[in-house]
Amino acid sequence: MINTMKQDIQNRISIYALISRLMLIEVDKEFLDSIEKDENILSLLPNYANWDKRAELSQKDLVEQYLNVDYTNLFLMHLVPYETFYTRDDQMIESGGDNPVLELYNELDFRVELDKARVVSSDHIGVELEFMYMLCTAISKALDAEDIDGVCELMQVQRAFLKEHLLEWTPLFLINAKVESRTPLYHDGAELALEFLLSDFEYLTKQIAEHCKPSDTVE
Amino acid sequence: MTKSMNEKQPAFIEGRRNFLKGTAYSVAGASLAVGVFETIASTPATADNKFTPTPKSLSFYPPLEEWDSFDELDGNDWKRGGTGRNGIKSDDNPDGITATEYMLVPTACSNCEASCGLTAWVDLSTYKAGGRLAVRKYMGNPLHAGSRGRNCAKGYATQSQMYDPDRIPFPLMRAPGSKRGDGKWVRTTWDEAMSKIGKKMHDTLKTGDEISKKSIMYHVGRPNENGFGHRVPHSMGLDGYDSHTNICSAGAREGTIQWTNDDRNSPDWSNAKLIFLQSSHAADAGHYFQQAAGRIADARKKGAKLVVMDPRMSNSAGMADLWVPCWPGTETALYLYLANRILNETGLDGKSLVNHKFVKNWVNWDHLMKDRDYLQLLVDKKYIKSVPEGNSYEEFIDMIAKMYSPYTLDFVSEECRIDKDIIEKLYDMFIDAGARVATYIWRAGPIGHKGGWMIARSAFLPFVLRGAMAGDKGGVGLHHWHVISVNGKGDAATQAGVRPDKVDVWNEIAWPPEYPLSTYEMSHIMPHLLLDDEWRDKWNSKGLKVPEKLAVWIPRMYNPVWINPDGFRWIEALKREDKIEMSFNLSPTWSETNWYCDFILPVGLAGERHDQHSEATQPSRWLSFRQPALRVALEKMGWKPKDPTRATLEAHIKSGLGEVWEEVEFWANMLTHYVDPDGSLGVRKHWASKEDPTRTVTIAEWYQAAFDKLPNLKKTAKAAYPDSKYPNYEMLRDRGTWLEEDNIFKPQERPIKKVGTKYISHGHEYDESQVVKDEFGVLVATDDHGHEKAIGVEIDGELMQGFHTLTKKLDFYCEWFKEWKWPEYAIPIYPTTKEDRVKMTHVVTQVHHDFMQNDNEFALNTVFRLPYNIHTRSVNSKHLMEISQNHNPVWIYTEDAKKLGIKRGDAIKCTISDTVSGLESGYFIAMAVPTEGTMPGVLACSHHAGRWKLKNAVEIPGFEHKLGVMGIGAPLYDMTMDGKIGTLKPVDGGGIDEEMMKRKDSWQFKEYNKDLDNIWWDGLSGSWQNAVAASHPDPIAGNHAWHQKVTIEVAGKDDKIGDIWVNYDNNMKVYQAWRDKLTRPLDETDTLRRPTHIKRPAVPLSAKAYAVKLTK
Repeated sequence: MINTMKQDIQNRISIYALISRLMLIEVDKEFLDSIEKDENILSLLPNYANWDKRAELSQKDLVEQYLNVDYTNLFLMHLVPYETFYTRDDQMIESGGDNPVLELYNELDFRVELDKARVVSSDHIGVELEFMYMLCTAISKALDAEDIDGVCELMQVQRAFLKEHLLEWTPLFLINAKVESRTPLYHDGAELALEFLLSDFEYLTKQIAEHCKPSDTVE
Repeated sequence: MTKSMNEKQPAFIEGRRNFLKGTAYSVAGASLAVGVFETIASTPATADNKFTPTPKSLSFYPPLEEWDSFDELDGNDWKRGGTGRNGIKSDDNPDGITATEYMLVPTACSNCEASCGLTAWVDLSTYKAGGRLAVRKYMGNPLHAGSRGRNCAKGYATQSQMYDPDRIPFPLMRAPGSKRGDGKWVRTTWDEAMSKIGKKMHDTLKTGDEISKKSIMYHVGRPNENGFGHRVPHSMGLDGYDSHTNICSAGAREGTIQWTNDDRNSPDWSNAKLIFLQSSHAADAGHYFQQAAGRIADARKKGAKLVVMDPRMSNSAGMADLWVPCWPGTETALYLYLANRILNETGLDGKSLVNHKFVKNWVNWDHLMKDRDYLQLLVDKKYIKSVPEGNSYEEFIDMIAKMYSPYTLDFVSEECRIDKDIIEKLYDMFIDAGARVATYIWRAGPIGHKGGWMIARSAFLPFVLRGAMAGDKGGVGLHHWHVISVNGKGDAATQAGVRPDKVDVWNEIAWPPEYPLSTYEMSHIMPHLLLDDEWRDKWNSKGLKVPEKLAVWIPRMYNPVWINPDGFRWIEALKREDKIEMSFNLSPTWSETNWYCDFILPVGLAGERHDQHSEATQPSRWLSFRQPALRVALEKMGWKPKDPTRATLEAHIKSGLGEVWEEVEFWANMLTHYVDPDGSLGVRKHWASKEDPTRTVTIAEWYQAAFDKLPNLKKTAKAAYPDSKYPNYEMLRDRGTWLEEDNIFKPQERPIKKVGTKYISHGHEYDESQVVKDEFGVLVATDDHGHEKAIGVEIDGELMQGFHTLTKKLDFYCEWFKEWKWPEYAIPIYPTTKEDRVKMTHVVTQVHHDFMQNDNEFALNTVFRLPYNIHTRSVNSKHLMEISQNHNPVWIYTEDAKKLGIKRGDAIKCTISDTVSGLESGYFIAMAVPTEGTMPGVLACSHHAGRWKLKNAVEIPGFEHKLGVMGIGAPLYDMTMDGKIGTLKPVDGGGIDEEMMKRKDSWQFKEYNKDLDNIWWDGLSGSWQNAVAASHPDPIAGNHAWHQKVTIEVAGKDDKIGDIWVNYDNNMKVYQAWRDKLTRPLDETDTLRRPTHIKRPAVPLSAKAYAVKLTK
């Protein structure tokens, strides 16, 4: 069981890292190079992989004329990538200490560096996805230490976070982002994120049911 | 995109379900994460504090009680994670979020004329820790009844203006031995400057003759205060005030004066059903747009419609319910068309569309119908076919219905070049709104054109006919109902204790005999008049005493060299030390005009000076109290100046702002101690303190006395500050604003009281023995000197205060205008044929389409503001400069551009020519942008951009730093001028860009200017078109008719954007042609310089000054 999960967790780490990075800040040379070098990642972005502009334009032009324009449109200007915008009746972003996600991070001793993230509050999609990534790295360490209880506890936190936060709002946002996108990278990225989150929830539910004590299940 | 992609990849999603089962992703994948989490928390996650993690509302202002000390969290520091995680910074918690203690000092914006309330947030924390006292930000003042806590970009930019890296740090004097314009300066002190200037003024005044009283000119740009500046020359016995006012608004004023004898109208936007804007001014960028726009938005929220008439699709037009692009200057025709239909059609209910109750009671039709000779003149002029038999109201209505019937849809569509369906829509909307139509007739029509005043005159006619000029809810009121002017009324605090006497001379340099009806001074032709020997000799030979020079010329926050037409003529005059012997500019910033002055005396910006300022922005009377925030903060913390009459200067020096002063303290000191130190000129007593005549008045004394004129303010202050010696001053110091009276509607209907034998009107008493009622029901009082004054009018058997006119009604027929030589225009009228347009040239624009013969000839619309610039006041704000760059190309209609082969971004040459004299002025090179946003045949390029400088910085002997000159807003140019031809070209090799972007660092206000290396913008925001334009003085109103006829072509290869070439010899001839071909000057039949009942700004004159006797 542990060996299978060790393989799974590395893949989960990679995908959470990829989608959180994609949605948190603009792409740059380093990021594009990482994608281009990795056939497996590229396979997750099929339209991007086949995009003729990749061959026509230099990477600099691709970034400046297409990708960053799309990012600005989707994440800064026209869509609102914050949970509270979707979950509060008044559609205001809760940028202060009353943000429920912030409370959760605090409970687990996680601190978001908002200035580094360049977001106005900690319930930005990129931050929430990176939180999942952080929990995955913790699971990885727990697996290395063969701490099954720890693994189960972390997976239950992840499942609860998906259920109570990410899946409460990101499907709507990601569908919007997919429709509004003007480049294959963000189109594929939105679709990847959506499908992955749904499948990850199924995965966690299944793993917890199979390997963890029922009393640990958090609903 | 989604659809097409999914069609190409039908199996895409299904393939995804095995995310975790595929090949292992590379380790590199994991490293993609940005890493925004700290996993180990070293500080407490939550900490108790008084701050709310999230404000409950965005309209958050601290309550007034906390203004003296208010803690606010630092927004920048908050990014580390907020107080929820870090707590508040303190000795016990050094890593907490910084909270700054502020004192909020209320003041008022001074960038445009609206006077929106501001609060200056003075940082006490830094000061108490041993740092400098500084303002950290400017926010709104929520107590301000006009602006309601809101500001536009220009208000918040006060901060960047205050700490402008090129702020003038101390008084400067032209270097001895240098010439004006050489750009050589030395440092001086306020006392040295006052001593030199004071001596010159003293010596001039000491002569005591007529010429001496015309030889000192105080030339004020936008005053942004109510009456203090007027008192300066007045107290010296001078007719020596020259305002900028005519150049910006005389046309609108003239038309309004003829109807109402009021300076301008004042709408009630909030309650209107139709907002009718002529030009974008009220809602976009002009008078008083931030406040007006808010009120207009309120009205629209309640369902009001918005119409914008403007040849250019402005921001307002873009969001209006109807955009009416009208050929500039022909708006009169459209207004008379509305009048025609209102008079000749009926509503859906079959009833007349004229509000007869209002028109019959409140329009002076009775005076017109009684003047049979004048009616005959209307017949002679072919305005009407015959003189009506009787003089009844019904016959009046019938007569004007016929008179305006030629203004048909066909005629107006052709004359104004507007689609017929737009005109009809406009009419329907106008009628649907009933009497609730609000407008502000100001720009651009009335100021852009020869005869622009007739646009204003005619504009009010349909409003009058519908009853919208009654000053009622949702309609149009008048300026003087809604304004407070007490800034110059601190007389009671002075040794004299009373207002200075009226002045006995008439200054022809400000009020030339060609323009007796000009609404304000003819200041835009001041240099022309000074340099026109022939003109002066002519009038002197007729018995006048026209000064041939000025001893002292004092611009105050004014930059006529750049903003006025014919800038080279201004430079020419300023360089002539025999014509202007001494000059000093009271100016917070560098400017093109400063370059040619003898002294630059740095005075304060919005948060650095005292002014009482009020504007008619709504049907109420509010005032702003502008204040030097640093001084007020220091005084509240217990600081005492060495000299209480110079506290503002001392506070600014102490706070490191520089040797920056303010006019109120400056003039009071100057006139007490330097101009008339021994009191022999009779000036000193008007500025020395009543409390202690050895010194000048203090701010507290002056404003205590001035605000005493406002009964409600006085009463409230006394109650709020019972133990204070200066309660009025202290209350305004703490609040910064006051609402003296609200909901002012229909004040013309206020009754005239009669107590015993006394009539009481407008607060004055008149004994019934001195009052007679004339045949029109007007109460006329005669004073002891035999002067008659209309004090009220009988309406429906009731005595009412009436309007401000001689008839106490709205003057459809302006009898005094007839008597002052313009009978054919004494009613709203406009020619309907080409032949008549020649005969009636005085009311036909100089850019009429009659004058456009070729495809490349256009009317150039120049008079629109950019929302983030304010004439010449914003070049010192890096924020305003950044957002205004490259926003001022030449707009050209798409099809016009196509015909001429002009593409977006092309440099084009715009050659200006005059249609009165036929002379060419020269050209400017600008960037073209083809657009559907301007109408065919009409170009648009705001004259508010295109600043220049001749040096990037000046060296001051003995001072370690160079002083930068307009480093963040003006490109570097080379200038030539030889007395006839002037040129300005961007300096080769980077005048427009590299030189402009050189400013990377600052020796002063470093902390605030760390971002100077971010200057990315160049100077491509306009050319100095004002210099190319000749002065076009309207023969009646006296405004500069701003719009120009231009011929355009694609620029040659050697022409660069920013280039100008001017034949200013021709421009002198253009001004002379407008003066000599169009005016009807005073002559030997005249006994007065001007009608005595209309306002004659700004100095009160005696009957002696008004009297004139000319020989042939």
